[in-house]
Amino acid sequence: MRFSDIEQTLAGLARTPVTPAKLAGEAASWNRAEALDRIGGDEELLQELCHIFLEESPKLLQRLQQAVAAGDTDGVMRAAHSLKGEAGYLGADGTSHAARQLEEMGHNKDLSRASDTLAALEREIASLHLDLKDLAGAQR
Amino acid sequence: MNKISEEQTIAPTAPKPGADGKASPLNAVLIAEDDPIFRRILDSWFKKWDYRVTAVENGLAAWEVLQKEDAPQLAILDWMMPGMDGIELCRRIRSHDQGVYRYVLLLTAKDDKQDVIAGLEAGADDYLTKPFDVDELRARVRAGKRILDLQAALIRAQGALQFEAAHDRLTAIWNRGAILDLLIGETERNRRNNGSLGVIMADVDFFKQVNDTHGHLVGDAVLREVGRRLASALRSYDSVGRYGGEEFLIIVPGCDALNLVVTAERLRRRIADQPIDTSAGPVPVTVSLGIVAAQANESRLIDPEALLRDADAALYAAKAGGRNRVETAPAALATGLHGD
Repeated sequence: MRFSDIEQTLAGLARTPVTPAKLAGEAASWNRAEALDRIGGDEELLQELCHIFLEESPKLLQRLQQAVAAGDTDGVMRAAHSLKGEAGYLGADGTSHAARQLEEMGHNKDLSRASDTLAALEREIASLHLDLKDLAGAQR
Repeated sequence: MNKISEEQTIAPTAPKPGADGKASPLNAVLIAEDDPIFRRILDSWFKKWDYRVTAVENGLAAWEVLQKEDAPQLAILDWMMPGMDGIELCRRIRSHDQGVYRYVLLLTAKDDKQDVIAGLEAGADDYLTKPFDVDELRARVRAGKRILDLQAALIRAQGALQFEAAHDRLTAIWNRGAILDLLIGETERNRRNNGSLGVIMADVDFFKQVNDTHGHLVGDAVLREVGRRLASALRSYDSVGRYGGEEFLIIVPGCDALNLVVTAERLRRRIADQPIDTSAGPVPVTVSLGIVAAQANESRLIDPEALLRDADAALYAAKAGGRNRVETAPAALATGLHGD
């Protein structure tokens, strides 16, 4: 057994309760503590915001996909702007970053590389959804 | 000269400063935000801070809310909204600001520095970048509230000053300047309408004796009560003001000669029927009244100086005739009567 393994195990034990979902969530797509801090520790409100995001973001993503397909730069900018803001609030940096790139593309009226970024954004949002469902629901 | 609105005809008995009280627009906020997450966050926080919240999803709806009377004075506007965005809304608010200032807080995204500059130039008071936290918003709202509170205090002070400028300090009825303005206003109106106008000059009988016997404080109490009784015996569109020391001027618009006599007689009785309670005990008081009922097509209907002169002459006749009585100025223009 190597020392680093022990260290990792201890670190894991220190956080209770340890569930695979929680570990995965904290590593990945959003920063729950940061979001909770922003709203002054209001757990109930955070739950509500997560649910709103789970409901709203697929609509925004769809609008974004349609705008990219149609070459509608203004539409891309607006939908990406909204996604950027919402994800940014939840401390979902990956989603927020990808959305911001798309917003800039829309703003610069250059969608030549939008498909790739959109694909990345879709992956980020998918992973974020999984984590939000786990964490928003689990940590009451 | 003080400009006085025509609605304000009868004198209130106590100063009524600023027009707030019940549901103050100071504790209300308008939130215009199309994003449901931010709308929910703002709504939740402001409600926690005991604000009345009106939340709308776009600029046009926000504009409609702001058109209403008692609309919130604090507005939180998102920059990017469908229809009318925050900046356009801000410009509209500023170009329509009348009387009441609205405090506008603009919400922008972190990297929109140009937006911030444009927003402030469009008239926003402050801005907040997303993602903002609860403490930051609270602090900025407090800063805005300070401005709005200051404004409310200024409006109250202005109202109190306007009241003082037009009202007699002792009796709280119109002062000489204001009642003369009202008389001029009525004659101007008759220049267009050619209606009728009653003017009554009332003077407290033997007022010097009240002062000499009981002192000036009792004299003041008598004048206050006379003013109060005269005001309470008039219709809402009549006006009474303190014309001089113990002399009162009453304006009765749209009144024929007979009705004016009835009105003046009612005033006389209202004073004479009950002695006035003072710190020196009940003091019996009477007034003498001189009246002029100017009818359509009479030259004095549009001549405030002639009306005052004739009322004064009639008052002199009432005094000479034994006091505590009403005398009417002759219908014709009275010129020779005005002796001493």
